[in-house]
Amino acid sequence: METKTKTGIGNPISRLEGNLKVMGKAKYSSEFSFENLAFAQGIQSTIASGRITAIDTSEAEKQEGVLKIITYQNALELKGYNGRFESPSTKGISPSLQTPEVHFYGEYIGVVVAETFEQARYAANLIKVTYAEDQHQTNFEEHLDSTYKPDKANGNPADTSWGDLEAGLNQAAAKIDVTYNTPIEHHHPMELHNIIAVWEGDNVTAYASTQMVENAVTTIAETFQMPKENVRVITPYVGGGFGSKLQLREHATLGIMAAKMVDCPVQLTVTRHEMFTAIGFRQHNRQRMRLGADQDGNLTAVGHDTTSHTSFTEEFQETCGLMTRMLYKTPNSLVTHRLMKLNLPSPRWMRAPGEAPGSFALESAMDELAHELGMDPAELRIQNDTQVDPSNDKPFSSRQLVECIRIGAKKFDWKNKWNPKPGHTQKDNWMVGYGMSASSRAAPYLKSSAEVTLKRDGDAVTAVLKTDATDIGTGTYTILGQTVAETLNLDIKDVQVELGDSKFPVSPGSGGSWGAASFANGTREACINAINNLKTLASTDEDLTVAELMKQAELNELTATGTAAPTEEFDDYSVYSFGANFCEVWVDKDTGMVRLEHFVNVASAGKILNPKTAYGQIIGGITWGVGQALTEHSEVEPNHGNFITRSFADYHVPVNLDLGKIDVVFVPEEDYIANPMGVKGIGELGITSIAAAIGNAVFNATGRRVRDLPITPQKVITTPVTA
Amino acid sequence: MRPFQFHSPSNAAEALQKHSRDQKTHYLGGGTNLIDLMKEDVERPDHLIEVADLPFKEITQTANGGLMLGATLNNTETANHKLVRKNYPLLTMAMLSAATEQIRNMATNGGNLLQRTRCPYYFETSMPCNKREPGSGCGALNGANSKSALFGWSESCVATHPSDMCVALAALNAKVHVGQADGSSRVIPFTEFHRLPGDQPEKDTNLETGELITGIELPESEFPDHYYYYKVRERSSYAFALVSAAVGLQMQGNTITKAGLALGKVAHKPWKLENVERYLEGKEASLSTFEAAADLAFEDAQPLSKNEYKIELGKKTLVQALVRAAARS
Amino acid sequence: MKPSNQPSSQDRKLGKEEEQLLDELGIFGQSRRTFLNQMSAAGISLMAVPYFTSDVFAQAPKAPDLDPESLLNALEVNLKINGDTYPLQVDSRMTLLDALRERLNLTGSKKGCDHGQCGACTVLIDGKRKLSCLTLSATCKDKEITTVEGLAQGTGLHPVQAAFLKHDGFQCGYCTPGQICSAVSLLDEAKRGEVSYVTENVKDEVTQLSDKEIRERMSGNICRCGAYNNIVQAIQEVHSGKAEMPRWEFATEQELEASRTAE
Repeated sequence: METKTKTGIGNPISRLEGNLKVMGKAKYSSEFSFENLAFAQGIQSTIASGRITAIDTSEAEKQEGVLKIITYQNALELKGYNGRFESPSTKGISPSLQTPEVHFYGEYIGVVVAETFEQARYAANLIKVTYAEDQHQTNFEEHLDSTYKPDKANGNPADTSWGDLEAGLNQAAAKIDVTYNTPIEHHHPMELHNIIAVWEGDNVTAYASTQMVENAVTTIAETFQMPKENVRVITPYVGGGFGSKLQLREHATLGIMAAKMVDCPVQLTVTRHEMFTAIGFRQHNRQRMRLGADQDGNLTAVGHDTTSHTSFTEEFQETCGLMTRMLYKTPNSLVTHRLMKLNLPSPRWMRAPGEAPGSFALESAMDELAHELGMDPAELRIQNDTQVDPSNDKPFSSRQLVECIRIGAKKFDWKNKWNPKPGHTQKDNWMVGYGMSASSRAAPYLKSSAEVTLKRDGDAVTAVLKTDATDIGTGTYTILGQTVAETLNLDIKDVQVELGDSKFPVSPGSGGSWGAASFANGTREACINAINNLKTLASTDEDLTVAELMKQAELNELTATGTAAPTEEFDDYSVYSFGANFCEVWVDKDTGMVRLEHFVNVASAGKILNPKTAYGQIIGGITWGVGQALTEHSEVEPNHGNFITRSFADYHVPVNLDLGKIDVVFVPEEDYIANPMGVKGIGELGITSIAAAIGNAVFNATGRRVRDLPITPQKVITTPVTA
Repeated sequence: MRPFQFHSPSNAAEALQKHSRDQKTHYLGGGTNLIDLMKEDVERPDHLIEVADLPFKEITQTANGGLMLGATLNNTETANHKLVRKNYPLLTMAMLSAATEQIRNMATNGGNLLQRTRCPYYFETSMPCNKREPGSGCGALNGANSKSALFGWSESCVATHPSDMCVALAALNAKVHVGQADGSSRVIPFTEFHRLPGDQPEKDTNLETGELITGIELPESEFPDHYYYYKVRERSSYAFALVSAAVGLQMQGNTITKAGLALGKVAHKPWKLENVERYLEGKEASLSTFEAAADLAFEDAQPLSKNEYKIELGKKTLVQALVRAAARS
Repeated sequence: MKPSNQPSSQDRKLGKEEEQLLDELGIFGQSRRTFLNQMSAAGISLMAVPYFTSDVFAQAPKAPDLDPESLLNALEVNLKINGDTYPLQVDSRMTLLDALRERLNLTGSKKGCDHGQCGACTVLIDGKRKLSCLTLSATCKDKEITTVEGLAQGTGLHPVQAAFLKHDGFQCGYCTPGQICSAVSLLDEAKRGEVSYVTENVKDEVTQLSDKEIRERMSGNICRCGAYNNIVQAIQEVHSGKAEMPRWEFATEQELEASRTAE
């Protein structure tokens, strides 16, 4: 459609809600006010395995302002796990305080409710818990012989194979067999997880920071065994999620329970320290990579074996081998996933679950193989490109990986800069290195609904769009406003977007890189329905403006809803986004400190709804990749089984100085198999293979191949030079 | 946070008197460390005496050509003071390597000297720590000790001192001025201000209970030209050091005539390298001299189970700091 | 998207407020034309303040008064915030951050860690950036406090706020008030010639900040969404007065065509 507006899709407009955010007026879930609001403070276990034998609350109860102390001894009865060992779901139950059993250090074992925040915090420190402690299993190395094959790895088959891996390796001219480790990492969105729970009779309203509104309603209803109609969830602004707010977790249960038990609104905020154990995390993945190639660089064998850990209550494993199954063509492939149970919290989805750690192994291994072959690593990727997904023989709906690599190489000046000999360039005390990687990430598309209301005042028409989708920083407000402006041919000034309320039409929520595509198509459907309704009411087939149509139909207001959903055709294809990364790093030759100088990312991710916010997603992903590559890791204390990295002072997420210049090139792509608007996700593509590109550049600078992330000064100086 | 009474005395005498009367009392400077520890339930004072606004906010020249840094002046203003930058750029560099502008705007000079360790066992109240709870044991000794001490540790404690400023002050041979409740005062050489843990790791310094730091005295400027503070860390900024080195050199041509050296994050106190300072005097500045100096500096290092890498890293850090200090013109 | 889709500045007239904003941003002449070409519709939404019709936002402010009887070690303190004075009775343990958020309904300042390790709570106290989570309310008497809510003058955004909006210096927005307070203070620090750890020689004053200097000086404000590069652009533009150009582009048809064959 020819647009008259300059603010429709594809334009780099500033965020619609941006004014509120820069003025401090956007309201996050902890910022709603209520009379008689009480404050709750959670209490976490301080052993890794065992059971509570006694709880002394007497001192705490005596304190000024304390309203209630809740433990397993007096908690409301909830739907519990009943010993089931199942995979977590984004709408799964979140029971808490149902038994005296302790499964990991930092499990919620109680909650204190008081009139003020200070009183609740203080009283929580006065509660004395006695435990019968069991020998805990928290050491990954010690339990490697207890691994088993899970039924599924995050919904995907644990094992896949075709051809004969050993045979493929035997016929290879060059091969590698190496093992990589990625550590425990935490999401740590800047907004602390939080809930304000407000009961009115049998109805509860939860102001809760969540990525998925409808699923949060289900979690509350199921956990408390109440009708979904009695639950309302509100989350207009979400201060980051990255997967940690997909499922409403136990803290929300505690807040809702506390509000019920003290009969007033209750706010519960998860402290930064508690967030290390209360909201999921990315587990330690050990990945063995076996690659073989003939002299021309054609892959003859690809093997990827992942070993990681889950908890004793739930089974979760990232599909680290997901990308290995589909990125390159090979006649022989074996991809496996194995798990052990540890007394650590249940891992969960974290930005690009599977791809983020998996791509580090695959794309580092490809670099090692290129080195063995004496081949340009960019050429090795191009050599093994495929337009058919080797894991299922389906064609890709679109795949411009080669284009991404070549465009990126040119932008970066790869051919002139890259030199296979480590130590090729030195500047003062810095050794300069270049690295690259290829990336892919599934582009799912899910059923999503929206409602649009048009109001006319003379010749002027404004539109309000409502859906229960969330904006977790991804730009949902803006791209949906642009979709409305585009489809209804209105100026963005005349469009309102309202999100994050379970009263609004159901969306799949923010997660899995399906948000933009699903929400935008749902919004478009609602707008198309509005136009069609208006045409019917105006008795015309003409392509008039909505103002003209409303005038002709003598309407001042019209509301229409719409739902978009994938067609059957979608399942006939493999639908992915693709990308390429090139980077320059400087490594201090003595102390091993690594500095990121320049990054070039090329992304082929369908229709870019707004390049300004899409660029934000990519640089955000790269920042995450920098953290994964250089700074982030949690360490388990060997004797007590807790995370010894317990604050932002010990767990280092990247700061501003950790970043360097980043250039992003979007490759135009029209993929209407993906969905009618041709939109694909970009938020998780952005982190994929970043750590590999950085690690490859560190090797290129120093000749040291650090296979265990993060690449800290300690590891750089203790890793031998091998090239 | 435990409940406490807040006091805001109008002068130092009142603050000192107040402190001598009450048990479990802490002076409150910028609060950047103490308030954090109180939130962690590690520090549990009954009384807080606000001293951040007491009138020790001047930087003045001393009779013997040195400088007196007021104890309640904040780190930002101290580091950026014209005379500090001109005559003690090593101190400026070390102070600015620490924390962030926000924290440096709050943190007082006196408070910087009294920072507690970053050892995670000290912060986690469920774990043993002799520094937090004497007699409970040292969790780090046979636990997660990759960032623990290399020098001067005891079976009771392997914690390190976290300050950057103090490393420079040790290299610069500063002195600490303290006031006492009876109105008297005393001066403590910097190397004697902090202490090794021994069997009393709960004591970080040799301050007596209730003593109040009023100023930090710097001797006449010795290293205004050849200086470097090198801080190695796991994040490029806003992170505590893995190891750091403060270097000040006096040079005639390429000959070192005097050196002021200290290491950070390797011991319970800033680790002054007096023997290495003497070793360097009269030597030509060269990589081999510096490497020999670094070997000497770490000769007595006693690594724990997981921190041996810090010896190699520390040596390289010291060498780099020496190279960069010598190369300045 | 083809570049031709991007509207040029020639075909639209600037509103008065937009003109004023660009003046404030120090973008003139060719820069202004370049800026408008590159950023196309940015100017339009610079001005757009969406309203929300939902009942969710019709909220009463939090009750400012607590029963003093229930407070242990209660203290009286007059907090001077954004030019207004708020007499408050507070628990001696109450931090400035909690007083702002829980008692005064000034929720612009954010709680990201509550331990001085993230910078989300940054406010200006007597003109200097400080952490409100490590500041006891009791220590704030007679001090002038400015929060993010106090930066905008009248209906116009502070130039730093406008630059953050223009350069997309945020995503989820939670660290943003702290980043902006920090940046506002940083500009003053630069005017005073403050040095930093990345300054080549700390004996020299620094008044023109490189991107690296801005990065170091902003490292006390963590942005987990990773908008750092945009934050640097926003601050650099206000600091230097020169327009910062976007670092994204679309591959052209020719580039795409060329990429489909090996060289």
